[in-house]
Amino acid sequence: MKVTFKIWKQDKPETKGALKTYEVSGLTEDMSFLEALDHLNEELVLKDEAVIAYEYDCREGICGQCGVFINGRAHGPHDNMTTCQLHMRSFKDGDTIVVEPWRAASFPIIKDLIVDRSSFDRIIEQGAYITAKTGTAPEANAILIPKEISDQAMDAAACIGCGACVATCKNSSAALFTSAKINHLNKLPQGKAEEHQRVKEMTYQMKEEGFGSCTFTGACEVECPEGISITNIAEMNARNFKAKLFG
Amino acid sequence: MAVNPLFFRKTLIAGTGLFLCIFLIVHLSANCILLLPEAVARGMYNSYSTTLRESPLIKIVAYLLYLSIILHVVYALLITIRNRKAKPKKYVINNSKENSSWTSQNMGLIGTMILLFIVVHLANFWARIKLGIGERPEIDIAGNVDVYEVTYSLFQNIYYVIFYTALMIPLGLHLNHGLKSSFKTLGFYHKKGLKIVAKISLIYAAIMAIGFGIIPFIVYLK
Repeated sequence: MKVTFKIWKQDKPETKGALKTYEVSGLTEDMSFLEALDHLNEELVLKDEAVIAYEYDCREGICGQCGVFINGRAHGPHDNMTTCQLHMRSFKDGDTIVVEPWRAASFPIIKDLIVDRSSFDRIIEQGAYITAKTGTAPEANAILIPKEISDQAMDAAACIGCGACVATCKNSSAALFTSAKINHLNKLPQGKAEEHQRVKEMTYQMKEEGFGSCTFTGACEVECPEGISITNIAEMNARNFKAKLFG
Repeated sequence: MAVNPLFFRKTLIAGTGLFLCIFLIVHLSANCILLLPEAVARGMYNSYSTTLRESPLIKIVAYLLYLSIILHVVYALLITIRNRKAKPKKYVINNSKENSSWTSQNMGLIGTMILLFIVVHLANFWARIKLGIGERPEIDIAGNVDVYEVTYSLFQNIYYVIFYTALMIPLGLHLNHGLKSSFKTLGFYHKKGLKIVAKISLIYAAIMAIGFGIIPFIVYLK
C-alpha cells in the first residue's frame, strides 16, 4: 500500500509551520495509522532527515495522548475513536492523507503534531478532587449510589482528556471536557461538598485559559473517542445557574 | 467571583433569542390577516396595527423587542470575536460537515443575513409608519393608517417579494439551530426532552420560514 502524507512540520512554537509532503510505500492495511507514521519516521532516519514529532502512549485508546487532525477530522475519518485505533484499511491505496496538529489558542504547538494541552490540567486542578477522610477506607456500602447515577458519573468520567472536542470545535470551546469533569464528581455524593465551588472555579479557569464559548454545533460529541454526550454541557450550564444562586 | 462571560453572554443570547421566537409567532399570526379577502383584510389589518401602536403595554413590549434585537446582535458579535481568538489558525482541511450541520457552523453568517433583512424590513414599514420617514402612508375609511396599503404596494414589486421570501431561508435555519440550542444554554439537559425540543424547533422553524416566506407571494398574486 502506498500513500502520500501531507504532514504539518513546525520546528518551534514561534516559527511558522507548513505542510510537508511525504510519499510512503511498503504499508499494509493492517497497520495502524501510528505504525504508518512510525514506518515513515524509520525511512526518514535512514535518509538522515528530520523525523515527525507526534505523541502517543498506550496505543489502545485509553490514554488520550495521540490526537491529531486527519483529513479534516479529529482522530481521523471515523466517529468516536482515537487516532491510535485508526488503521490504514480506512484509506485507499494512493490516497493523500493530510495530518495537522490540534488547532486552538489554548493548545499551542510545541513541535510538528505535538501540542501543549496543560490548559486541561489547570482546569482539572481547580476542582477535580473531593474532600475525603484519610486513613482506612470506609465501609463500601456506607454510601449508596443508585445505579443510574453511578452510570451517568462513569460515562462522564470516561473522558480521557485527548482534546478532540476543543480541536474540532470552531470556537475551541472546552465545554465538553470541563462539563464531563464537573458532572463526573458533582453527580456523586462524594463530590457534593465542593459542588458549587467546583463549577465556579473550573469554568472560571476554562475562561482564563482562553477557550471559546459553546455554540452547540455538536461536533465534539461526534469526535469524542468516549462518546461523551453534549447534554453534559447543558447540565454544566444548569449547574452553573445553581452555583450562582446557591453557591 | 466575577461574571463568567462564557456563560453570561450565551445566556443573554439564548434569553433574547427565545423572546424573539415568541414575538415571531405573534407577528406571523398577524400576517395571516393578509391572506383574507381584501375587503375584510384591509380594515382588520389596519385596526390591528393601530391598536398595537396605541397600546401602552405594547409600547413596553416594543422597547423590549428593540433591546432584545440589539443585545442579541451585540453579544453574538462579542462571542464571535472571542471565539475567533480562541481559534486563531484554521485547519488546512476541515471536514466539519461530517460531524455537524452547516447551519450550526455558520450561525454568525446566517444571523448577519437576517440582520440585513431586518434593516430593510424596518426601513420598509417601521420607518414609514412609526417614524414618518419617506412617503406618508394613506389613511383608510375608518381613520386608521393604511398599513395594508403599505404592505400591498410593497409586494407589487417582485424584487421585494423575492427578497422577503429568499431571506426566510436563513431565518428558518437560524431558528432551527437557535431554538433547540437556547434550551441547552439555559440548562435544560433531559435527554429525551432535548430530542422533543429538537423536533419542536424543526417544526417551528419550518412554519415560520414557510409562513413568512409565502405570504408576500400570495399578496403579490392577489
